[in-house]
Amino acid sequence: MATSAGFLARRAAQKERVRLLYRRALKDTLNWAVHRHLFYQDASDLREKFEANRDVDNPDVIDRLIDDAEAQYRNFQHPDPYIVPWAPGGSKFTRNPPPPKGIEIIYNYGKED
Amino acid sequence: MAAAALRPAILRRIRLSPSPAAAAGAAAASQPHALARWLARPMSSHDAHLTRDEVVDRLLDVLKCHPKVDPSKVSPEAHFEKDLGLDSLDTVEVVMAIEEEFKLEIPDQEADKIDSLPLAIEYVANHPMAA
Repeated sequence: MATSAGFLARRAAQKERVRLLYRRALKDTLNWAVHRHLFYQDASDLREKFEANRDVDNPDVIDRLIDDAEAQYRNFQHPDPYIVPWAPGGSKFTRNPPPPKGIEIIYNYGKED
Repeated sequence: MAAAALRPAILRRIRLSPSPAAAAGAAAASQPHALARWLARPMSSHDAHLTRDEVVDRLLDVLKCHPKVDPSKVSPEAHFEKDLGLDSLDTVEVVMAIEEEFKLEIPDQEADKIDSLPLAIEYVANHPMAA
């Protein structure tokens, strides 16, 4: 804390943590709400929680706030989140995967000599 | 309302329901293939890759529908925070709206780096699974 460069680096790291936390919380809000009309209200409430601490400028207080929010988020995580079908864990992941190299598929079944 | 960022994804699907016949006629009259493209999208199996022009149009539409964005300032070179006046949390919401629009799952670290429209266009246009 003796130099302003260290202070700025710490603030940048804190901002990144807040952005990631907000992003994950927003995604889980959608996972829990599912329906849009419920999601809009829940997302607004989530944003208000973040906005309430917008003007805090003490780095130690900010660190404690982020730690507390991350703990709340861990309790809030959805056990069965929505996964895009093609992503790992999705319903289409590795469906019809290409055959590994070295394996040759012969398409003339029944016409072998 | 912050959560209204996802409204375009809903409106795009609701828009055809009031009067299907008239809407179909209007769409067919203005753009012959617009309706076919609309109907084909839900059944897409990711075989048809998006063109860059299509990506740009849809991204501009997503941004213009965001409640905190001034539609007149939206351009393909806009920076979310410098040009559109959004803050970092608004940028997170915009990136999430983009994910919803194109049915993507952007990793957290990469999503954190998307802070302007050119970067978003580049990411979506180069993503093989964007739909």
